[in-house]
Amino acid sequence: MRKFKRGLLAVGLLAGVAFSGVAHAQDNEPIKFGLLQDFTAVYTFVSGEYNQGQQDYLTLINEEGGVDGHMVEAIVRDTGNEPQRGIEAYNRAREEGAILVDFLSTPVSRALVDRVLSDEIVMITALHGRGDASAGETFPYIFPMMATYWSQATVLAQYIKDNEGGLEGKKIALVHIDSPFGREPVPVLEDLAEKEGFELSTFPYPSPGNEQSAVWSEVRRFRPDHVMIWGAGGGQPVSVREAIRNGIPADQIYSVVWLAETDVENVGADVMTGVKRFEAVSTGTDNPILERIQETVIDADLGAGEADNVGTTYYNIGVATMAVAVEAARLALETEGAPLTGPKLKAGFEMIKDFNAERLMPPVTITAADHQGGGAGRVSQWNGEAWEPVGEWGAAYQDVVQMEIDAGAKAFAEGN
Amino acid sequence: MFYRLAGVHHTRYETARALWPIPADRKQVIVAGLIALVAPFFLSTLYLGSYMLPWLIWSSAALSLTLLMGMAGQLHFGFASVMAIGAYTSIHLARLGIPFELALIGAGAMSAVIGTVFGAAALRVKGLYLVIATLAMQYLVDWVIINVPAISGGAQATLRTPEVSFLLFPIESLTSRYYLALGWAALLAVFLMNVKRTSFGRALTAIRDKDFAAAVIGVDPFRYKLMAFFTSSFMGGVTGAMLAFCFYRAVTPEQFSFNVSIQLVAMVLVGGLGSVIGGFLGAAFVLLIPIVLTNFVAGLAASGWLAISSNLLAHVPLMIYGALIIGFLLLEPLGLAKIYDNTRKYFLVWPFRHSRS
Amino acid sequence: MAYFLELVINGALTGLMYSLAALGFVLIYKSAGVPNLAQGAIVMLAGYVVWLIASFGIPVYLAIVLGAVVMFGFGLLTERILLRRMVGQPIIMIVMLTLGLEIFLRGFGPGMLGAAPKSLDLGIGLAPIIIGDIFINRAYLVGGTVAVLLIGASLLFFRTRLGTKLRAVSDDHVSSWAVGISVERAIGISWGLAGIAAVAAGTLWGSVQGVDWTLSTLLFPAVAVVILGGIDSIWGVLVGGLLVGILGSVIPGYLDSIVGGGTRDVVTSLIILLTMMIRPYGIFGREDIERI
Repeated sequence: MRKFKRGLLAVGLLAGVAFSGVAHAQDNEPIKFGLLQDFTAVYTFVSGEYNQGQQDYLTLINEEGGVDGHMVEAIVRDTGNEPQRGIEAYNRAREEGAILVDFLSTPVSRALVDRVLSDEIVMITALHGRGDASAGETFPYIFPMMATYWSQATVLAQYIKDNEGGLEGKKIALVHIDSPFGREPVPVLEDLAEKEGFELSTFPYPSPGNEQSAVWSEVRRFRPDHVMIWGAGGGQPVSVREAIRNGIPADQIYSVVWLAETDVENVGADVMTGVKRFEAVSTGTDNPILERIQETVIDADLGAGEADNVGTTYYNIGVATMAVAVEAARLALETEGAPLTGPKLKAGFEMIKDFNAERLMPPVTITAADHQGGGAGRVSQWNGEAWEPVGEWGAAYQDVVQMEIDAGAKAFAEGN
Repeated sequence: MFYRLAGVHHTRYETARALWPIPADRKQVIVAGLIALVAPFFLSTLYLGSYMLPWLIWSSAALSLTLLMGMAGQLHFGFASVMAIGAYTSIHLARLGIPFELALIGAGAMSAVIGTVFGAAALRVKGLYLVIATLAMQYLVDWVIINVPAISGGAQATLRTPEVSFLLFPIESLTSRYYLALGWAALLAVFLMNVKRTSFGRALTAIRDKDFAAAVIGVDPFRYKLMAFFTSSFMGGVTGAMLAFCFYRAVTPEQFSFNVSIQLVAMVLVGGLGSVIGGFLGAAFVLLIPIVLTNFVAGLAASGWLAISSNLLAHVPLMIYGALIIGFLLLEPLGLAKIYDNTRKYFLVWPFRHSRS
Repeated sequence: MAYFLELVINGALTGLMYSLAALGFVLIYKSAGVPNLAQGAIVMLAGYVVWLIASFGIPVYLAIVLGAVVMFGFGLLTERILLRRMVGQPIIMIVMLTLGLEIFLRGFGPGMLGAAPKSLDLGIGLAPIIIGDIFINRAYLVGGTVAVLLIGASLLFFRTRLGTKLRAVSDDHVSSWAVGISVERAIGISWGLAGIAAVAAGTLWGSVQGVDWTLSTLLFPAVAVVILGGIDSIWGVLVGGLLVGILGSVIPGYLDSIVGGGTRDVVTSLIILLTMMIRPYGIFGREDIERI
């Protein structure tokens, strides 16, 4: 019965999109976003909820009359995390008129950086892709638009410094998946270790991370004061469990942004109590945008997926990415006028100033030079029932982050 | 009808030995070649750049692998790593300022040497044990690429291909890249068709069928197996370089992951072992069917014919794809090439039915 | 020393967990001579099945039993519908068929039941068993014990009347037919048994990492175990698992901090390469005598 209902929901959504499209299409060209993500391979842990959030937000915008009367249309395709399928999906979406693409897959995004730059199409790489794309002059069409992994590491370090008795003389273990993503925070943390005088040790575990016991035996003998876990998907609950099993107190575990409700369920809500994570977007439904989504989209059976997912971590991240994108489109339409193109949308993004999506996220200011938008975030803690923020929105050590961004951008500009 | 055999007389050995002794086959090849040649003029960028071009390159890879798997009977589950070696070698050579033509040869040579070393290590074992030995190659090569920043290109692990020209033609526009890939695929196809008729090819076939028996008739299995590994890895290396320069133009380790190895094996098997046309058909099936299915299913859903959740929607193409592989194998276990062959044989004697084999 | 012992013990237990996934592979290969590349996906499916049954409010241990019944049936059906029609075809095509099945199941499981990881709580406590300075992972201890029990049961099973038939079938199909053994039935049963082994693997791994498609990637460590031990030997599963687990735990435990990268897969790969240079048929594998 539930299946059937979900099916009905999907029909409803499609019909809704189709009819609303018909109703307004005469005078206003729709704005097309390509959400070409990995629904079947590595990123399945996030892409379902993330994409649902994106689609629901776009439905909300359309139900409320669109952006200046323009409907926003999502082109959703699966890429299976394979670069060649990503390239096909991208070329197709571009022919259909997409002016913004979101792959939510590091391999696909990396393979398409050059194409996007030469085709002048906006690519948003929130929480994936290259961190050095924050350098707007080198990567004009690429927008990380949320804290990069480097900024996430610095925000976590700042939290430890402010709330856990300083960093000086502390021992911090970074337990990460052995991949470019897992290693990304290492240089930044090494710089910080030198600057703040703490001892950093890194412990890589082999991909996919479903088995980490040997690594944690080593971590325990290092006797760290704090542990940062840097992984995604199935490796994360294993990390948390192994940490706790090895006697590391839950409130000394800090995670990258990829730790969400499903991981809590997997580890056990009471075991997880005290674990902290970086947060780029606030979680929960206590927000005007989510209330409107609930009212206009979910209650009207226009949602793109199960209603239970509304307000989860990844759902809200999806909503936030689209909120920024729609805001950029609105600014672009205001100043540059219709029809919207890639360069106009890019200009729109760079006009975003102190935009916080009605308190859903930290205020973001994107400029031509800084496509990261400030790199702000906060730390939140699982209190047994929900993720509770334990710090204020803010960015930290952006000078150190900027050094990494510049180094990467310089290498890219030289042809790397 | 199409394959009119009446009136085809071979009066000289050369004509009887030709690659396509029947005129109808020749015509088909010519037509296919012409279509491939003029494709850039009538295909849109979408179809040329994301269907034809990758298909040709993956066909080249499948052809390289089919020499080893189909003709010599040596399973290889780490062929993506061979291509990775070629891709990275060619990029680094081209960046050092070495002409692209030489960089391609260097890429092939590097892959061939490393591939042969692993081949030699694996030659004590056969069949499934060889699978795991070549798998080990995949993991070792992956590990080295990821862990040596000088190879993978630093923290972002992305290397962009420098601008190069091949025989004075700049390899920059989509059309030029397409023609380069087409040339390489055609070269490989012709090479493979001819290699079957040489003593080398026959020796490989003898080893595939029974290597002890081959040894008895004077074919040194060790030597020929190594030669097969060498040749196949060389072609794979150059194909890897083609993939990097003509298609991706920015190389990351994930492009040559273990999954790609499995896909290559699937291309060879679904296409038909040791068959040239099978290489092309298999590559088309494994590479393009998932893409086509994804678009088809998404299209169905958009027009309201398929009312299911978006999660299921994303997985339906995977299910159909798996079911298609199963279905084709149940229908014709010898691969797509055999289906082509059956069709051809049917029309060869059409309207009679008696010599269908 | 305690560090070394902890690495050995936890490594051995994880290795046994891999053996669980490997057991099904060997059972099928032993009787049918088919290397079943879909075994990883079958493990995943088993995890989903147990989760699905448990989600109806049925106690998890009962769900495991029911899951075993379902997966036994699934194994029988797969053999009957797919594999039997491929009898006599080149082995490599049968391998391809199992790969197709793998792809299908990878779409089917997550597609029908949701791609986000599902949690499967077996009620195994999180606190480690502490002996001196050695922390033993309780979940792995349970997994290792189950693995040893299942492997033991398989060994005993092959001594029963039915098991003897299966061994005859694994020796030679044609002569088994000649003495009146139903080869089809024997192979079907071995697929069913592989399904049951998959339930154990899927449940235990699922409780550790959550049930999602990544369970199907257990195939590769499982294949490593199998090759090391010998592809048609139950003892080989046990010994191969222990070796892969211990070496893959001890060596990275000392090497990783020196190299600065995860070395487990490399170490296992090298070990496998070396083993094959010395013993091409695995430690307990049966050496085939080739005739011309």
